[in-house]
Amino acid sequence: MRVMVLVKADENSEAGALPDEKILAEMGKFNEELVNAGVMLAGEGLQASSKGARVRFDGRKRIVTDGPFSEAKELIAGYWLWQVKSMDEAIDWLKRAPFDQTEVEIRQVFETADFGPAMTPELREQEERLRAQSEQLSKAGKR
Amino acid sequence: MRFMLLMIPHGYESAAAGTLPDAKAVAAMMKYNESLQRAGVLLALDGLHPPSMGARVSFAGGKPKVSDGPFSEAKEVVGGYWMIQVRSKEEAIEWAKRCPGSDNEVIEVRQVQEFADFPPDVQEAAAGFSELQAQSGQPKGS
Repeated sequence: MRVMVLVKADENSEAGALPDEKILAEMGKFNEELVNAGVMLAGEGLQASSKGARVRFDGRKRIVTDGPFSEAKELIAGYWLWQVKSMDEAIDWLKRAPFDQTEVEIRQVFETADFGPAMTPELREQEERLRAQSEQLSKAGKR
Repeated sequence: MRFMLLMIPHGYESAAAGTLPDAKAVAAMMKYNESLQRAGVLLALDGLHPPSMGARVSFAGGKPKVSDGPFSEAKEVVGGYWMIQVRSKEEAIEWAKRCPGSDNEVIEVRQVQEFADFPPDVQEAAAGFSELQAQSGQPKGS
């Protein structure tokens, strides 16, 4: 199964504070362990919400608001995607992350089979094709 | 530039385990997903099961503490995301506006940190990160 690991923002990440060498080294070591164990699928840091925006949907209207967004507790600063056997395994891995004072959420990712009958055979085929194509584009972009 | 479009469906924070989107919503969203792919901007996308099937780990004082979902204090949660490659934040916002979202939904648009965004000394300390990214696979879920 796949899980998304959502690292919550705080005042520092929202201020655009960059990680120092010590944290980068510790996180690098942790990421390396995840890759070696075949758990790591993806991981990125996100720029502060001051560089972002929100789009609200109201019927046909689209209301755009520029960041920053005040409720920093629910904002995300980064994420991983992990391949694991269970939520327990994901939690065990996460407990080893070199965080201090951070809050992290683990969420199960929908697999195509999870959608049930709403994901018709045609839609399923389309979904698998989209994933394969976007993966190609994603790998082409990686330096 | 890469952006994440984070789908925030209000009410999802209290959705029961096993909650599924209906067929009409899935079909409409797949059309949108297809348009992202045809435009050559779609890098990745996923839907997330509700927080009632998730967990949180807090690291106060470096000690991990686990709580099972749902999370009563959460006023909003992420329901899914798209990762797109575009030329500007404005273009990312335009794509977000085209999503067939419903009245109770919000999409947050966030710029992804690229290695080159960091100053030289930080890049040096993070040397090897790009290789790590290249090495991490994308095995399909079952």
